[in-house]
Amino acid sequence: MRLRGLLFFFFFSGLVLGAPFLVPRAWLPRPIQDLVYQYIGEESYQKPPPSREISPVSVEPFCLDRHADWRKPQTIEGVAIEASPVCDPDNPAEIAAFVKGTNNIALHTLMETRLTPNTVVKENDRDGDGDPDEIHIRLEVVELNGHSPDDPAPFPAYAIAPGVQPGLWVFAPKSSGMATENFESEWAHPTLRAPSPTIRVEQGDTLRVTLENTHYLPHTIHFHGVDHPYIDATGEGNDGVPIASEMPISPGESRTYEMTPRQTGTMFYHCHVQPHVHILMGLQGMFVIEDNRPNNWLQTLNIGAGRVRSVSAAVRASYDREFDLHYQDIDPALNNIIQTAGDPRLIAEATNRRYDITDQDPDYFLLNGRSFPYTTRESLIVVAPDERVKLRVLNGGAEGISLHTHGHKVRITHYDGVEHNPAAQITRDVVWISPAQRVDLLLNTTDDGLHNYGPGVWLLHDHKEKAITTDGINPGGNISAIVYQDYLDTSGRPKTQGMDWAPFFTKEYYQKKLPIWAGLEDFGLLGEASARSLPLSYALMLGIGIGLLIGAAFALRRRGARYR
Amino acid sequence: MGFFLRKNGRKRPAVSGRGQLRRTVSILIVCALSVLLSSAAGSTQEHETHHHTHHSMQLDTAGMVMNENADQLPRGCPRLSGEHEITVRAGKEFARPGTMFAYDRSEWRFEPCTKLAVTLINTDSVRHQWMLHGLPRYIYPQGMFTLEVAGKGQRTSTFILPPGDKTYLVHCDVPQHMEKGMKAQLKAGAGDGDLPSIPGVTGPRLRDPYALAWNGWTHGVGVLFGIVGALFVGRRLRLFL
Repeated sequence: MRLRGLLFFFFFSGLVLGAPFLVPRAWLPRPIQDLVYQYIGEESYQKPPPSREISPVSVEPFCLDRHADWRKPQTIEGVAIEASPVCDPDNPAEIAAFVKGTNNIALHTLMETRLTPNTVVKENDRDGDGDPDEIHIRLEVVELNGHSPDDPAPFPAYAIAPGVQPGLWVFAPKSSGMATENFESEWAHPTLRAPSPTIRVEQGDTLRVTLENTHYLPHTIHFHGVDHPYIDATGEGNDGVPIASEMPISPGESRTYEMTPRQTGTMFYHCHVQPHVHILMGLQGMFVIEDNRPNNWLQTLNIGAGRVRSVSAAVRASYDREFDLHYQDIDPALNNIIQTAGDPRLIAEATNRRYDITDQDPDYFLLNGRSFPYTTRESLIVVAPDERVKLRVLNGGAEGISLHTHGHKVRITHYDGVEHNPAAQITRDVVWISPAQRVDLLLNTTDDGLHNYGPGVWLLHDHKEKAITTDGINPGGNISAIVYQDYLDTSGRPKTQGMDWAPFFTKEYYQKKLPIWAGLEDFGLLGEASARSLPLSYALMLGIGIGLLIGAAFALRRRGARYR
Repeated sequence: MGFFLRKNGRKRPAVSGRGQLRRTVSILIVCALSVLLSSAAGSTQEHETHHHTHHSMQLDTAGMVMNENADQLPRGCPRLSGEHEITVRAGKEFARPGTMFAYDRSEWRFEPCTKLAVTLINTDSVRHQWMLHGLPRYIYPQGMFTLEVAGKGQRTSTFILPPGDKTYLVHCDVPQHMEKGMKAQLKAGAGDGDLPSIPGVTGPRLRDPYALAWNGWTHGVGVLFGIVGALFVGRRLRLFL
């Protein structure tokens, strides 16, 4: 009896569900036709869903023009500072302070910066050639986008791209006062930023670097490639390596490193405590030793790397411009750990023991502390035709980079600070740079079809394709450009004639909420397809089917009870 | 303002460190505007209108003092209610586990209109500050009084509290120093509540993700009440008598 009921049920429900397939197609209403023939293969025309309406999002301006006067060439404290026509140039007062020494400038100039009188002390012209030969730099360790026990927003805030704020640790010049722009702001003061500043000294200068560890974990500095003694005159470790030369510098403590570099070149400095973590957290900077020349006042620190606006005598003799290009990559799985807890012990455990660098997978790719489009506010290589431009490039990331110059072929003059045999120097448009490696490049803007193909806005980027994205969204990553002056407007914006950049200046673009072609006038053919609406007939038949099943189940129960 | 229900987390605290600053900014701007309109004091107007720079600042290699005020009596104070000196030690040695830097005290109480001479003794080899927020901006540009000692050493400076019961945030603004424990509060009169994450006084809004440790007692209590609950439910469902 139970079996008979089951058969009855299947027959009845099969009849209802199968009826549409058994009658001629034309008898059925159109929605049922659509539904049925979707499943038996012969599909009728269905209107595809329209493009999704994009709700308006707020677009940042390309440039806030906060310090337009900083772009001009100017002389401060007797220091000639070259023009820097980009949107956000360095603070000229700060440049003057680094060239003269914070101990040698007027208080009102110093007050235009957040530096202290002994951030960069310069004195003692030992060789009598008109420039100071004893330099003392004081550095602090600063956390950006860190944790607050009372507010979920990263603090102090530092964005590498719109809405992208990975946790970072950087060396920063010793400063004074607030960490933020002002007391209403959560944004870090511009001196507190990635990358750590480029250090620049003259060959034969005696340099002392005091690391004042303002951070909550131990750190050191290792001067990679810089001529320095393993231990100093007092027997203290001077190499910055806790497993070899010295103990780490604890929070609240300081140590002074001392060196008199005999060789020139582009070098590297970085923390050597848990280096697989601390270097990638951002404790790394470029270190340049310039030729010793008379009256050679150097810009001892270059905040955020980039354009050198007060170049050394030797570079001035051979080049028209000089740029420090510092590349980094970031795995937020490591860097954002510092945003998850306050207790230093929890952060140490999570970064050193829970995070496994052998699983490293970087999402962010930085040039001079930013990703596109913010790179174009600061790190454009602005040039003119028929120039020789010196590019010093450091790869501070965990992965190699394939630096590609659109419109130009560059000559590699130095590897790791050592000049390549001039007869064997090669000219190419993709330059491979290993992790920790430095190359010096000669960018020749002569329009000869080899070194340059004429003026324009020529991209400059790592050709490892993921590096031109920010967490997989292109354009992002370390994209910047070589821009000829005629192609730059007065706000430092490249005069491009391609896509509208507005979507790239929104958080939503990098949160993957905007269609890539949102800016294209394309008759709506390239927007984001919205979801297909559910046919009423589908809902109707589903409802009937479920109802039948329930009804049949009850009927079977009752039948079973009767016959038992 | 002032209370907060940390335990049940239903209500966000009304007062916080930086959050409080942001919220009070608009109020302060309104106050500053009214002061500008009503005041004829030229020098203070200049302070107010030049937003970024030109605080009264003494800066040298040993540190910095911003907005020292030993003379100007805040409006609404008929006279000084008293003169006090405090000595504050700042450094790693005062920190509790879970933090890294701290002051040797987390709270001070004074009458409104008190003239306060603060000596900050820094026991570390890095910079520390004693920065107090929320003061009237017509005397103290940006509403702050700041003492900074650039390394081991000490510095003294003076300011005068305005009238009114209020809790002032005191902290070190070197990045992560407040977040890692160098935070305190100064209550004028009865104050107007407690700030969050004041070491030894109040807890944080966002709790750290510590592992939970069970021991014999907690296990025992858990098991005991588990049995009691099972008996109760079992009786109600008449599974047994």
